[in-house]
Amino acid sequence: MDIFVQLIYSGIALGMIYAVVAFGYQLTFSTSATLNFGQGEALMLGSMVGLTLSNLGINYWLIIPLVCVFGFLQGTVVEYLGVRPAIKIKSEFGWIMSTIALGIIFRNFAENIWGRSTFRFPGPFEDDPIKLFGANILPMEILVVLGAVSMMLLVEIFNRKSIYGKAVVATANDRDAAGLMGINTGLVITFSYALSSLTASFAGVLISPLTLAGSGAGGALGLKAFAVAIVGGLSSGLGIVVGGIILGVSETLTGFYVSTGYKDVPSLIILLIVLSFKPAGLFGKTTIKKV
Amino acid sequence: MRFKFLALAAGIIILSLFPIFQTNTYYIHMVERILIYSILLFGLDIVVGYTGQVSLGHAGLFGVGAYTAGILYFKLGVPFLIILPIAVIVSCLFGALLALPALKVVGPYIAMVTLAFGTIIQILINEMTFLTEGPLGIIIKKPIIFGFQTKEIHYYWIVLAISALSLLVINRILKSRLGRSFEALRDSPVACDCMGVSVYKYKVYAFIISAGFAGLAGSLYAYSEQYISPNTYVFELTVLFLLAIIMGGRKTRLGAIIGAAIVITLPQLLGDVKLFRIVATALAFVVVAGSALLISKKMSTVRKVAVPVIGTVGLMAFSYLIKNISDWRLSIFGFMILLVVYYLQDGIVGFVNNFYMRIFSSKKSARDQIDVGDFDKDDAIISAKNSSAPDQLLNLKSVLMQFGGLKALHDVDLIVKKGTIHGLIGPNGSGKSTLINVLTGIYVPTSGTVEFSGSSIVGKVSAKIALSGIARTFQNVQLFNEMTAIENIMVGLNHTYKSNLFEIALNLPRFKREELAAKQRAYGLLKFVGLEELANEEARNLTYGKQRLLEIARALALDPNLLLLDEPAAGLTAPDIKELLLIIKKIKDKGITIILIEHHMEVVMAVSDVVSVLDFGQKIAEGKPKEIQNNPKVIEAYLGAQTT
Amino acid sequence: MLIIKDLESGYGKVNVLKKINIEVPKNKVVTLIGANGAGKTTTLRTITGMIKLTSGHITLNGKSIDNFPSYKVACLGLAHSPEGRRVFPSLTVFDNLQLGAFPRLTGSRPRGDFKGDIDRAMELFPKLKERRNQLAGTLSGGEQQMLAMARAIMLNPDIILLDEPSMGLAPILVEEVFKIIARLKAAGTTMLLVEQFAVGALNIADYAYVLENGRISMHGPASKLKNDPAIKAAYLGGH
Repeated sequence: MDIFVQLIYSGIALGMIYAVVAFGYQLTFSTSATLNFGQGEALMLGSMVGLTLSNLGINYWLIIPLVCVFGFLQGTVVEYLGVRPAIKIKSEFGWIMSTIALGIIFRNFAENIWGRSTFRFPGPFEDDPIKLFGANILPMEILVVLGAVSMMLLVEIFNRKSIYGKAVVATANDRDAAGLMGINTGLVITFSYALSSLTASFAGVLISPLTLAGSGAGGALGLKAFAVAIVGGLSSGLGIVVGGIILGVSETLTGFYVSTGYKDVPSLIILLIVLSFKPAGLFGKTTIKKV
Repeated sequence: MRFKFLALAAGIIILSLFPIFQTNTYYIHMVERILIYSILLFGLDIVVGYTGQVSLGHAGLFGVGAYTAGILYFKLGVPFLIILPIAVIVSCLFGALLALPALKVVGPYIAMVTLAFGTIIQILINEMTFLTEGPLGIIIKKPIIFGFQTKEIHYYWIVLAISALSLLVINRILKSRLGRSFEALRDSPVACDCMGVSVYKYKVYAFIISAGFAGLAGSLYAYSEQYISPNTYVFELTVLFLLAIIMGGRKTRLGAIIGAAIVITLPQLLGDVKLFRIVATALAFVVVAGSALLISKKMSTVRKVAVPVIGTVGLMAFSYLIKNISDWRLSIFGFMILLVVYYLQDGIVGFVNNFYMRIFSSKKSARDQIDVGDFDKDDAIISAKNSSAPDQLLNLKSVLMQFGGLKALHDVDLIVKKGTIHGLIGPNGSGKSTLINVLTGIYVPTSGTVEFSGSSIVGKVSAKIALSGIARTFQNVQLFNEMTAIENIMVGLNHTYKSNLFEIALNLPRFKREELAAKQRAYGLLKFVGLEELANEEARNLTYGKQRLLEIARALALDPNLLLLDEPAAGLTAPDIKELLLIIKKIKDKGITIILIEHHMEVVMAVSDVVSVLDFGQKIAEGKPKEIQNNPKVIEAYLGAQTT
Repeated sequence: MLIIKDLESGYGKVNVLKKINIEVPKNKVVTLIGANGAGKTTTLRTITGMIKLTSGHITLNGKSIDNFPSYKVACLGLAHSPEGRRVFPSLTVFDNLQLGAFPRLTGSRPRGDFKGDIDRAMELFPKLKERRNQLAGTLSGGEQQMLAMARAIMLNPDIILLDEPSMGLAPILVEEVFKIIARLKAAGTTMLLVEQFAVGALNIADYAYVLENGRISMHGPASKLKNDPAIKAAYLGGH
């Protein structure tokens, strides 16, 4: 029974990481109807850059803001090279393929810079577990959940309180009308990509002390975060938290009780089932066709 | 046409003789792989090139084919000739399975669905060791056919034969109504459904057929490589397939073959740094020279060519900086994708075609005369005069269409009599287009009854409604833009075909007859609206007025009893409007009932027998045109109340 | 203040507008009327950069704004209350108004008395005051129209473009909308009013242009055009 609860805790922590990455998808999709198919690589780069900084002796708590800055810049590059030209020529195929291509390029660079093996990422805490409701939970797992939730809350507060945040929401609601207000919607889209990579890189630094960091980490993760985004609906913040928890827990349980090889399967099957029956997601809203 | 056939025959002959002169099995094997990849790409092109969706799961389907072959060979010792069709069938089943979640979604969601699907397959192959031997892989020997042990060269000929056959079959399929339906799906799903071509059905067909080809390729691959393992069928392979298709050129068989050749020879190229440097330098040179040529001919600007020039020159510089190429293989793929997606959108084949036509400004091979014999244009439209439909052709009672809090249609009663032209007018937002969308199944009414020809159409899908006799045009023109005028109409004639996939693939007599009949009718319909000269012109190149006429001709192809015209005169000049009025009158003479939505009052009043007026989703007046024009309620609805 | 010269524009291959000329002098209300499909909304969308013009010129206060993106035009002092209201549904009434003043709050335009302007907007539109913290998506059609107009005013603009403010509104609400336009007129606001309801527009405007099939078929002082029978013919056919 203890193991079961422990798996639930790990699953929640893992799920929150997926939720943060899915949150990044939401940010860009709401403002530009595009998303970064290489988002998983943004997370991976965050953890690799964090690893390098850690090897340089920099304190974990300082690494976090530095990696966030890196993520912000990386997102800007992705938008500029991959998404902006596609939006200009109105090609969906364009941004899908180019964000995939950029993801591949980032991964290859990471392989060459950091190699293909996985690394232990030293975290800020000792590895001694704490007892919570009778089962073990690692302090790092608690940090992951807190970190993920606070990041998403921070962005929500920004969206609700600051004028710039409201400008982002306005762009997401109605891009043309936002332009009429004097909002430079092109800049908003760039910003949402920068923010999206920032959150992904942040998640990368959070998750690395728990799992192993490596250049190949991005791919499957990006896909599972899709699943979370779809289950939650691409417009609901609460939805992705719920979706993240469901998928994270299903993964840890499958990994233990079935086999580690199959751990990715439940998330993917959930994705396929949700898209078959409720394409707008469990929490999403269906749009009315305009002809 | 002759030229293409001769070129193909020559190609096959050269390839058949190839292994006799070049006996090094390394190169024979390489060409074999190119042929096998081509088969898969022919199928992938259906999904990517024709229906316009991104599929990230074809490596998985390739794996299904390979492992079906491997498992049947290894576990059951099934002979080669039986394995091939089974592999195709199993892959088709997986394709149908994949189509299910892909049905209701578009764009990036299809990418996710196919990616998830491909990933699941790869995981299953890896984990189900009891069936697939997992990471160990399966060793396969070259097939024994009727007791004869084939060697490399024999197998090569078998692959060549099968790929040539695949090319012919795919060509037939894509040139037929199936290919047209696939393209229509991409260009305008809404118009597709309303022309009786069910988007769901054809999406499933597209996935199944392309899966079949992928599976065929996979099973051939298993025997070719003689060893299969799970880590082949991964995301990188799918990306490679997509790169091949885009780079070679979508919607062409030659493009698929060129693409396959490029992605297979690429690793050889990328294995040797010196060779890579030579190619990168040559490419940079070509791009710089070509850009200079285009700029000097004023066909491009410095700004436009800046990125490809910088990109290829940068690539050349990069090639001199790195020592070991294979480590950077993936980055180079990624870079190539970026370049191709933005600068080579039509692929090499498309680029050469366009370049050739621009430099030598040859006219497109349009306007070749279509042989239609003694076909009389008036036969193109099937007369609805003697149809058994009731006098009250369309009967709406208390129809309510509510979106959240908004009542777009509020308690609307409408009766349209057979053989009449019924005008429908009203200010913006009064519910006219909503009504048309309800009649064509795009919206399901919140409540009320809608009876057409005596039976209810509430809840029926658009494709079924279209096939039962209601056709429409659209307020914002929804033509199949990348198809020609005559092809647009032939999509509308999809319902006239009874022949199935086999008859199409094998070009059997019934299919041939139906195709000719459809072509003749389509031409006749073009003549009816006066567009016969532009039969082979792409729809997007027509002037606006002609596009609207084409939409009408396409709608008539459905043999409708009821034709819904949504603002047909919008944006037309006065002479165009005169022509339109004549055409509307001719349609009425055929006994077809028309509902006409219009803002051009002179059009509505000139042809309508009866006019209904909507305002705020309610019918506020109905009667003869002259009565309506002088009705004070109507005047107020349009001009506004007399305020002090 | 706003001069449109020989303007041609449209969607893709269709040139909806064929060389139209319109002038909106300072402190005047000019109306552009015409049947649906005549090109009224196309005109406004071209001015605010939502559509590219094919030829012709648009100048605002002597400065050319040809093909400027929407946000630039707004920062130069041209507010647009678009067709269909298009308020931001997931933001509150207050947020919507605040965003109307975005260029003022981010340095692109003089800040002025922001707080005072909000209060004045609430006073001009009492219904909005009651619903200050309500999500704009939950407002009724009439209230959204008020919000869209108030939002445009919040820019402290030199000129306001009103695109079919009466569309989809019940007659009582239409009256209210025109009353507010009258108040704005009395305060000297320069406005270009596009309307499908000719009578109301002609009652309030100083000058009027009639758009028919993409061309200006007649123009003149609104009071003169009001009683012209050709207007009725333009809307309801009847040759």
